[in-house]
Amino acid sequence: MSSSLTCAKLTILTITGVTIQIIGLSLFVYGFFPVKPALSGVSGAESFRPPTCTPLHNQTDSDLPPHNLKSLYKELSGIAPFDRLVLMVIDGLPAEFVLGKDDKPLPKALMDAMPYTQSLLANGMAIGYHAKAAPPTVTMPRLKAMVSGAIGGFLDVAFNFNTQALLDDNLLGQFLKIGWKMVMFGDETWLKLFPGLFTRHDGVGSFFVKDTVQVDQNVSRHLGDELSRDDWDLMVLHYLGLDHVGHIGGRNSILMAPKLLEMDKVVKMIHTSVIADQENGQRQTLLVVVSDHGMTYNGNHGGSSFEETDSLALFIGLRNHVSDYALYTLNTVYQVDVAPTLALLFGVPIPKNNVGVLLSGTFGSFTDDQQLKALELNTWQLLRLLQAQLPGLSCENSPCDGFNDDQGCRINKCSGNIENTICCLYLKATMLHSSWRLKDVSSRPYSREDYSGIVTAYYEFLKTATMMLSCLILLSLIFSFYKEVYNMKMQQCFDSKYSMHTWSLDETFILGVILILVVSMGSSSMVEEEQYIWHFVTSTLNILLLRKMMQSLPVEASRSLFGLYKGNKKIAFQMCSIFVLIISGRTLRGWHQGGVNWTYLPDISKWLEKAGSNHVKSIQLVSGLLMISLCLFALSLSGSRRKISLAVGFSFLMFGLLVLQHIKKYQDNIFVSSNYNATLLVQIIFAGLGIATIGTFVAYPWLMPICISKICSSHRSFMSGSVPIEIQNEYPLLELKNSLYLIGWAYLFCWCLLQLLLQQPINALPMLLLFMQILASLIYASNGGVHHKQWVEIAALYYLGMAGHFALGNSNTLATIDVAGAFIGMSSYSTLLSGILMFIITYASPSFFLLSIVMYISVDTSYLVIPQKADSEHLLKNMLAFPCLVPLGVNSIILTAYTIVLLLMRNHLFVWSVFSPKYLYVCATTLCVYIGVSFVAATVIYSYLVLALRKRMQGFSSIDTR
Amino acid sequence: MRTNEKVSADADADAEVVCVQLMLGLVLHLPLTLFIAHSLYSINLLSHPSLTLSLISVIQCPIVLLLYGRLQKNRKHCSYLKAAGRGLLGLPTGALVNALGAIALGAPVGTQYFSQTLNWSLMMSLFTIVPAATVFGSSWKDWQRIFAHTKPMGSVDIIICLPAHGAVIGAWFGAWPMPLDWERPWQEWPICVSYGAMAGYLVAMVASFGYVAVCARMQHVKRE
Repeated sequence: MSSSLTCAKLTILTITGVTIQIIGLSLFVYGFFPVKPALSGVSGAESFRPPTCTPLHNQTDSDLPPHNLKSLYKELSGIAPFDRLVLMVIDGLPAEFVLGKDDKPLPKALMDAMPYTQSLLANGMAIGYHAKAAPPTVTMPRLKAMVSGAIGGFLDVAFNFNTQALLDDNLLGQFLKIGWKMVMFGDETWLKLFPGLFTRHDGVGSFFVKDTVQVDQNVSRHLGDELSRDDWDLMVLHYLGLDHVGHIGGRNSILMAPKLLEMDKVVKMIHTSVIADQENGQRQTLLVVVSDHGMTYNGNHGGSSFEETDSLALFIGLRNHVSDYALYTLNTVYQVDVAPTLALLFGVPIPKNNVGVLLSGTFGSFTDDQQLKALELNTWQLLRLLQAQLPGLSCENSPCDGFNDDQGCRINKCSGNIENTICCLYLKATMLHSSWRLKDVSSRPYSREDYSGIVTAYYEFLKTATMMLSCLILLSLIFSFYKEVYNMKMQQCFDSKYSMHTWSLDETFILGVILILVVSMGSSSMVEEEQYIWHFVTSTLNILLLRKMMQSLPVEASRSLFGLYKGNKKIAFQMCSIFVLIISGRTLRGWHQGGVNWTYLPDISKWLEKAGSNHVKSIQLVSGLLMISLCLFALSLSGSRRKISLAVGFSFLMFGLLVLQHIKKYQDNIFVSSNYNATLLVQIIFAGLGIATIGTFVAYPWLMPICISKICSSHRSFMSGSVPIEIQNEYPLLELKNSLYLIGWAYLFCWCLLQLLLQQPINALPMLLLFMQILASLIYASNGGVHHKQWVEIAALYYLGMAGHFALGNSNTLATIDVAGAFIGMSSYSTLLSGILMFIITYASPSFFLLSIVMYISVDTSYLVIPQKADSEHLLKNMLAFPCLVPLGVNSIILTAYTIVLLLMRNHLFVWSVFSPKYLYVCATTLCVYIGVSFVAATVIYSYLVLALRKRMQGFSSIDTR
Repeated sequence: MRTNEKVSADADADAEVVCVQLMLGLVLHLPLTLFIAHSLYSINLLSHPSLTLSLISVIQCPIVLLLYGRLQKNRKHCSYLKAAGRGLLGLPTGALVNALGAIALGAPVGTQYFSQTLNWSLMMSLFTIVPAATVFGSSWKDWQRIFAHTKPMGSVDIIICLPAHGAVIGAWFGAWPMPLDWERPWQEWPICVSYGAMAGYLVAMVASFGYVAVCARMQHVKRE
C-alpha cells in the first residue's frame, strides 16, 4: 500500500473540510436569507407631507407631548374616525371558515359554526378579506408583518421559537407615541415582541399544543371586566385554541366546531357591548378580527400552500354598511395591508417599512377627498421606502412646484426601466390628483371619472412598488469551495484500494443517483415530489443488487428452491434480505402519499385513520412488540451469551415495556394526554434510555471479557472467523467487533423506543419496516464475503435513510414538521429541548440509518483483507474511512449543488415557497449527517482505544505470570 | 468440431434471415397497430390505455412466437410447436415478473389499476421474457448469460438480449415524468411508461438488426 494518506492526515483533512463547509454554509445562509431592507427610525409628522418637499425634517414635532402629537396628526391627516381598537387575533383560523372559498357559498356546517359573525357579514356591518400571508406561516413573523407592514426575512421562522422584541417602526409604537393605553390578553409572543408596552396583560404560553381549552379561557375571563372599563385605547386578544385544535386533529377535528362557536361568542360579546350601540358622541371603537395564518388539512402550517396562507382580516364596526360585501371578500389582499389601513383609520403615521396597500373597502364611507388623501399618504410612505432602496429615484417634478396640469395629462404610457416606471406612475397619480382638486371647484361631473383614473394610477404605482420591493432583496453571494478536499480523498482511497476492479452496474448506479439528485433539484416540481425520486432510485438499486445475486447463482443450485438453500446459504440469505428491502420499501412508499401536488391520493395512513383510532393503536402496539422482539433477536444473533450483554438486553427490554405501557395508557385520548402522570412516565423513559445508552457506550468496552487463546473464536458463528490468528492476537479485532455490535445494537434499540414514543401513532409500523430494512441490509452485508464494496453499501444505507425520511410523511415544505410531538414529556416550555425533540422526530430515519453504521462496521468483513504489516492506524482507517467519508461526501455534493441551484433560482417565482424551505431541510440534513458521523467515529475510536489498552495490559500480565 | 461450427454458422445465417423478418414484423407492427387502433376502433393509448395495450399484445404474440420459434437452439430435440408452447407458458410468467417489478418500483396498486397493469405487463412480457422462453426454454445457463450478465454471444443472443433490455430501460426512463405537476393526461400510469418501453424496444431492435447485419457481412468477408 503506497498510500500517502496516513490516518492523522485523513482525520485532519476531514475535520478541515467539515469546518470549511460549516463556515461556508453559515456565511451563505446569513447572506442569502435576507435581512429585510429596513429603514431605521420612526415615522413622524413628516409622513403627512410629500416626500420631496421636506429636505430637512424638523425634529420638533416628535418631542411634543402625546396629547399634542395626537391632535397634530389628526389635523394633518384629516381622516381619523376611530379612536379605540379591539384587535382580536385567532391563531390559525383559515379565512375559508368565515368567508368561504372562491365563488362558492359557505357550507352549512361553517355557516352554523359562527352564526353571529355571518349575520354581521350578511348585513354589511363587517367587511372580510382573504388576507394572503407571506411564508413562513408561523406566528411571530406574521404578527410582525401585521403591525409593521413589512415582510420579514425568511429566517424569522428559526427565531419563531426565540421571540425577540420588535424594534422597527410599528403600529403599536405609533399608538404609544400618541399616548394610547394598551392591554393584551393571549399569546405571550406579544409580550416578548413589545416588552413593557401593555398596561395590563395576561400572557399564555403558545407551545403547549395539547391544551385547547384552558388557553382560551385564560383570555376570555378578562373580557367582561375590560369591556366595561374605559381606560384603554387598544385591546389585543390573541386566541390560541383554534391553532392547537388544528395541530391535534386537523381541519375536520371534532373540536373545531365548538371552538369556532366559542370565537363567535367572543365576537358577539365585543360587538354588542362596545360597538353596536355607540353614538356619535362616544368614542368610536373598531373591532378587527384577524388570523395570523391558515392551516393545511392536517392542521399544520409553515409553508406556502393556499390553505396555509389564507388568513382572515375582518373589520367590524366601520359604519359604512356595504350592501355588496361579496365584492370585497372575493378580493384577495395581502396580510401586510392591515398595517397601513389601521394606521390611516386611526390617524397615525404609517410605519416606515410598510409595503402594504390600504384596503379601499374599509374607506367606503368616507368622502372621495378623504379616500384620495389616504391613498396619497400611503403613496408618500412607499415612495420614501423606494427612495431609500433606489438612490436614483428622485422624481424631479415634485408636486409642490405647483399645479401644472398640462404636463400631467401627457404622461399616458409609462415604460422604460423600472425606476422610470415607478417615477412616472407616481407623477401621473399626483398630476391627476391635483388636477382633480382644481376641477373640484369648477366642473363636478367630470371628476368622478378622473377620480377612478387617479385611484387606478395610484394603485398601479402601489402594486409595482410592492413587487419591486420583494424583488429588491439583495443577495450576498459568499460561498467557499470545499468539495475538492473530499473528492481528492475519495479518489485516493479508490486508487489505493480498488485500482484493479472494473466498474460494475450497481456502483455506476450509485454514482448516477447523485447525478440524478443534483439534476432533479433544479426543477421545482421535482423538489416538491422528491419522495418519488428517492423511492425510485432505492428500489432500482435493490433490483440491480438482485440481478447481481443472480449472476453468482450457480447453475446446479437453481434446480429447486430447496437445493438453493442447501447449496449456498449465503446467497440465499442475501436474496431474502433484498426481497425484504424491496417489499418493505414499497410498503413504506404507499404509507404516506407525501409531496405537494398529489396529497389527496389515497394511501395506507389515510385508510387506517379512516378505519378508526382503535385500529391505529392496536397496530402501533403490535409493531412496538415486534420491534422489541426483533431487537432481542438481533442481540441473540451476536452469539455472546455473557452476563453483561444479558443485563444490557434486559434493561432495554424494561424500557421497551414502559414505552408500550405509555402507549397503551395515555396516547389514545387527545383530551387528557398532557396530564402529570403521562409526562412523568415519559421523562423517566427519556432519562432511563439516555443513561442506559451512554452507560453501554462508556462501560461495555471496559467490562467485556477479553480472551487471548484461540478457543474463544470458535463459538462466534455470526461473525466471520476468517481473521488470521496472528492479527487476532495482536489486535483486539474480534473483541472490537463484539463490542461495536452491542453498542450499535443499543443505539438502534434506543432510537426505536424514542421514535415509538415520539412519532405519531400512525408512524409506528413504518418505523418497524425501517428497522427491518436496516436488519436486512446488515444481513446482506455480513454475508457478502470479502470482495464486496464497502462504499456501495454505505451509500445504499444513506439512500435508504433518505427514502425513509419521506416515507415517514415528511416533505420539503415546512408544514409537515410534527409540532405536537415535540412537546411530549415537557412539563414546562423550553425552546432548546422541544427543538431537539422536533429534530429527532423529523430526522428519525436518516439518523436511524447513520446510527446503524456502527453495527454495520461490526458485521462488515471487507476491511479484514489486511496486508502483513498492518498497524492499528491502518486498521482504524480501513474501518472508519468509508463509513464516515461516504455520507459526508454525498451530503456535501448535494449541499453544494443545491446552493448553486438556489443561487441560480433566486429570481424564480417559487424561490421562497419551494426552494428556500428545501434549503433549510438540506441544511438540517447536513447537521444530521455531522451528528451521526461523529457518533459513529467517536464510538469506534473510543472502543478501539479502550480495547487496545486492555489487550496490552493483559498481554503484559500474562507475560508476567509466565 | 466441424459439425458444431457448421451448426453455429447455420444458426447465424438463420438469425440473419429471421432478423430481417423480425424487423419487418416487429418494428413495423407497433406503429401499424397503433395506427390501426386509431383509425379502425378510434382508440389510442391516451383514451383507452388498457384496450390499446391488449390489442398490441394480441397482434404481437403470434408474431413473436412464430419468428422466435425458428431460432430455437437444437431443433432436433424440440419441435416448432413445442417452442411456441414454451413461449406461451412464458407469457404469464413474464407478465408476473414484470408486474411485480413495476409495483416494486412504485406502480400504483389498486383494483382500478388492475387491467392497465395486467395489459402493460403482458406487453412487457412479450418484449422481454417470451422471446427468451421460446428460444432457450428452461436452460438456466442461457437465461443467466442474457439477463444477469448481459453478455450476449452470437446473433441469436443479440436479438433477444438487446430489445429486452431496451424495453426495460425505456420503461424506466419513461416513468420519470410521472410525478411532475404538468397535469397532462399521458402522465398517468401506464401510458408514458408504455411509450418509453416501446421507444426503447424499437431503438434496440433496430440496433440489434444493424449489429447482426454487420456481423454477417464480416463473416462473409472472412469466408471469402
